[in-house]
Amino acid sequence: MKEGVVVKEGLRQSMSWVHTWAGLLVCWLLLLVFMAGTAAYYRHEITFWMKPELHKAAEAPSTIPAAASATLIVRELQQRAPEANGWFIDLPSERNPLIQAGWTNPPKKGMSREERRNAFRQQNVTLDPITGQHTAAPRDTRGGEFLYRLHFDLYYMSALWGRWIVGIAAMFMLVAIISGVITHKRIFKDFFTFRPKKGQRSWLDAHNATAVLALPFHLMITYTGLVTLMFMYMPSPTKALYGEDQNTMFAEVFMNVDRTKPAGVHAPLADVAPMLQQAERAWGEAPTRIVVSHPNDANAKVELFRPSGQQLSNLEPSMTFNGATGALISSTGPISTTLSARAAVYGLHLAHFADPLLRALFFICGLAGCAMVATGALLWGVKERQKYAKVVAAGGKVGFGVRLVDALNIGAIAGLPVAFAVYFWSNRLLPLDLAQRTNMEANCFFAAWGACAILAQIRPTRGMWRFQLLLGAVLLGGLPLLNVFTTGTHLGVTLFGGPGLRPVAGFDLVTLLLGALLGWAAWWLGRKGKRQAAAAKSTAPAAAAAQPAPLEAA
Amino acid sequence: MSMLILSGVALAFSGFSAKGIVMDRHYSDIHGRGKEADSATRLRMRLLGWLALALSFIACIGASGWHIGPVLWCGVLSIAAWTVTLLLQYAPRKVVLGAWIGVPAALLAAALLLMR
Repeated sequence: MKEGVVVKEGLRQSMSWVHTWAGLLVCWLLLLVFMAGTAAYYRHEITFWMKPELHKAAEAPSTIPAAASATLIVRELQQRAPEANGWFIDLPSERNPLIQAGWTNPPKKGMSREERRNAFRQQNVTLDPITGQHTAAPRDTRGGEFLYRLHFDLYYMSALWGRWIVGIAAMFMLVAIISGVITHKRIFKDFFTFRPKKGQRSWLDAHNATAVLALPFHLMITYTGLVTLMFMYMPSPTKALYGEDQNTMFAEVFMNVDRTKPAGVHAPLADVAPMLQQAERAWGEAPTRIVVSHPNDANAKVELFRPSGQQLSNLEPSMTFNGATGALISSTGPISTTLSARAAVYGLHLAHFADPLLRALFFICGLAGCAMVATGALLWGVKERQKYAKVVAAGGKVGFGVRLVDALNIGAIAGLPVAFAVYFWSNRLLPLDLAQRTNMEANCFFAAWGACAILAQIRPTRGMWRFQLLLGAVLLGGLPLLNVFTTGTHLGVTLFGGPGLRPVAGFDLVTLLLGALLGWAAWWLGRKGKRQAAAAKSTAPAAAAAQPAPLEAA
Repeated sequence: MSMLILSGVALAFSGFSAKGIVMDRHYSDIHGRGKEADSATRLRMRLLGWLALALSFIACIGASGWHIGPVLWCGVLSIAAWTVTLLLQYAPRKVVLGAWIGVPAALLAAALLLMR
C-alpha cells in the first residue's frame, strides 16, 4: 500500500518535470502557432478587411440568383482566360459577398513555384453581385491567407521544414497537455478556483482555468492538427499499403480524383445556368462554388459545390457535369466511414463548417489557448525567480536562464500582438503600387516581431513589458482609427451599413477589444510596479534606489 | 434554434454553479468562514448540477444535431465554466442567485424540444 503511494508521487513529480520542460521548450513557437491559428478561423473576413477596395461593392447583399451570377462570371472568364487550365469561382454566400474567380494557366516550362504562385495571385477577377460590373481592383495582399499559412508552414523557409517544426511543437504540446492533466493533483477541487493578487498562485490558477476549462478544445485542436499532416509525419503505413503508388493513395483519400487530361479538341463550354438550376433543385439550396476544369475542351468538366451544412466534415457535397454537353456525370454519394471520420477531423480543425456561433466559440477557445501558453511560460519565470529571491534582495542579479526566458516571454507575449498589428497597419500604409507588396507586408510582420524580441533581450525589465504591451494596445486599438483616415469604411459607416460590411465592423471591434485588453495589462503592470516601489522605499530605500526594478514575479 | 442554444448555455451555467457553490472553498466564501455544506445538500446540488449539464447537452443536440451539437456543447461548457469561475471569485453570492436560471431554462428547452 505504502509503496503504491510512493510510486504515485513519483509519477506526479516526473510528469510535472515533463510538463514544465516540454512546455517551456516550445512555448514561444506555440504562441505564434496559436495566435495565427486563432486568427485564421476568420481568414476570409481578414482578407476582406485587407482589401478595402471591395467593401463598397459588397455592402448590399446579392439579390440575383446563383445561376445568373454564374453566367455573368463565366462570360467574363471566357473573355479573360478561355485557354486556362481551370476556373475557380466563388458565388456570393454567407461568408463571401462578391462574385470572385481565379484561374490557372497551363504551366510554362522553367517557372518556379514562387513565380507560379505570384502569377496565380494576379489571375483573378471580382464582380459586383448586383451590377455585374467589375469592382475596383483590390490591393495586392495575401490577407488572412498569410496568417493561415503561417500557422503551419511558418515563413522564410520551405513549407516542408515549417510543417516539421510545427508538427514537432504540436507533439510537445500533446505531451504537455497529457502530463499537465496527470500532474494537476487538485484538478476537480480547484475546478472553479481563481485567486487574484496572490503571486504564483494566481498565475497557476489562471493557467489551470484557461487549460482545464477548455481542455476538450485544446486536446481536440492539438490532436486533429497532428492528424491533418499525418501522411507527412508517419509515411510508413501508407508506404506499406500502397508502395510506390502514393498518388493512388492521395487520390483515394483526398478525392480530388480525376486528373483528366485535356482532349486537345476545342468544344465550347456548355451553358452553366441549367446545371446550377438542376443542382439547386436537387439540393434545395444554391451551389456556392464552381470548379471548371479544362474549359472549352472536349473533356471539360464542371463541378458544383455547396456548404456541408450541419456537419463537421470539410468535404463539400458536389455535382459534376460534362462541360461540353452539360449532362450530369455524377454527384457525391455517401463516402466510407473512414473517409468521413477523416473529413470530420479535418473539418473540426479547420472549423470550415457553416455555423458562425461555433466558429466564434472556437475563436474564444483559441484565445484561451494563447492565454494558457502565455501563463504557462510566465509561470516558469515566476517559479524560477523565487530561487533568486535572496540574491535579488541583496542587490544581485537573476541567473542567465531566468533572464533569457523573461526576455523571450516579453518578445513573444507582448511582441507578437505588436507584429500582428503592424501587419495590418502595413496593409493600409504601404504604397499600393509597391513591387512585391505581399512580401513586404509579411516582412513588416517579422521586422516588428524581431525588433520586439531584440529589444526584450537587451532590457528584459518591467518597463519593457509595459512599453511593448502599450505599443500593442495602441497599434491594435488604433486600427479602427487608421481605417477612418485610409478607407471609406470605418466603424461609423460599417456599423450602420449593409450586412456585407459586418465582417469589417467585426474586425474593427475585435481589434479594439484586444487593444483594450493589452492596455489594461500595461496599466495593471504599472500600478503594481508603483505599489512595489512604494513598499520597497518604506523598508529599504537604499536598495530600491540602487536597482532599476527588474521584472518581478507578478 | 438560437433560443435552444441560449437555454443550453443557461443550463450549463446553472449546472456548474450548483456544483461550485457546495465546494468547500466557495461555500465558505458565500456563507462565512469555516462553514461547510452538509452532505445531503452537497449530494443534492451535485446531482442537480449533473442533471443540468445533461439537459444542456440535450439542448445543444436538439439545436445543432449530432454532428455539430457535441462540439457546440464543449464550447458552451467552457464559456459557462469561465463565467462561474470569475463570478465565484468576484461576486460569490450572485452565483447562488444565478443558479436558479436553470429552472426556466430547463422548462424552455423542454417546451422547445417537445413542440417539434
